[in-house]
Amino acid sequence: MSRSSNQGLPLGTTAPYARMHKWLQRGLFVCLTALVFEGAFTMPLLAIWYGWPTLSFLEICSELQKVRFSDDSRECIYPYPLFGPAEGAGQKTAQDVWGIQPVPKWRRIGFRDLIEIRNERLARQAQADPARRFSAR
Amino acid sequence: MTTSAVGRSPSGSHSYDEHHEKSRQAQRRADLWLLSGTILMGTLVLGLVGFPLFLRGLALQVKAQRAGLTVRPVIVTLLGYLVVIDSALNSFGWALDMVAHHTLIDRVVLTAWGNMFDAGYFWHYNELWLGGASAPGEKAWEIALLPIVFCMRLAAAIGFLQMKRWGQQWLIVTCWFGVVIWVGYVANMTIYADVRYANVVFPVVGWWLYNIFYITPFLAIPYLHTVNREIFAD
Repeated sequence: MSRSSNQGLPLGTTAPYARMHKWLQRGLFVCLTALVFEGAFTMPLLAIWYGWPTLSFLEICSELQKVRFSDDSRECIYPYPLFGPAEGAGQKTAQDVWGIQPVPKWRRIGFRDLIEIRNERLARQAQADPARRFSAR
Repeated sequence: MTTSAVGRSPSGSHSYDEHHEKSRQAQRRADLWLLSGTILMGTLVLGLVGFPLFLRGLALQVKAQRAGLTVRPVIVTLLGYLVVIDSALNSFGWALDMVAHHTLIDRVVLTAWGNMFDAGYFWHYNELWLGGASAPGEKAWEIALLPIVFCMRLAAAIGFLQMKRWGQQWLIVTCWFGVVIWVGYVANMTIYADVRYANVVFPVVGWWLYNIFYITPFLAIPYLHTVNREIFAD
């Protein structure tokens, strides 16, 4: 008395809900497949977008910090001391328009832009060095 | 399936027991593959390794069903294991953010994900004393969802897969929790939309395309309310 009396329907499914259950099952399968592929490709695609293997993970970490806090002197400490303070605690360089709904002001990072950002910065620093030597005299 | 004791008849005294035992073994065999696949898929990065294992388990179950054995309905299997995977994947990301926020892998992968889809995981990251995401309200959502709601969903899914009545009931409760999560979390993101989406690589549409596949509560609820609940044993 507790089983579906309709032949050909899955256990628990009655005729009025058969079509809905069929489409729900298909939707579940699509979600499962998508989650699997998303999960598998998230890390590799993120790594490539942000400059791996040209940049190592440590360099990517440092570059992202520089963008996040708008401070070219920031470097990722690795390994970070286990019970140390929060890495960004007390920072004063991040660019935001503050208010009840803050608006961040960092630059959008395009495909492998971090490599270009890093190279430009190194070139600027290399150019700045001779100027500093001159000004020191 | 209902497992209440059945009186023996002289002519078919062993046929029901045999059928029951064969069905139980077939389901168990399928579940070993399904569970192995699910555990791997729940790790995010090993998903492609787990998927074929899961499909094999599903194929074994369907084969047993076609052979006339009494096994779990396919939709129950899919729903239960998908809730497990959903809970695992969400817990994985948020566990990293709550306790592993200063590891290199987290500071690269999670903040890169944040920069690409949801700047709540990039903006002032690791500036709060708690570490991790600093977006308004985000840590509170993590604390409420990770140790409480997702653990409850996982427990309910386990009971549901065992075809227990409490499993079906608790999956209803926790899936409605899931609806509350979706509405509240998205509302918080919308109110602080500039923090979450300004200068992000793939804002809004990118976030939705990435996260839409976590809508298992919305798919589960219509099924759970319309399934004949007698198939779930007390």
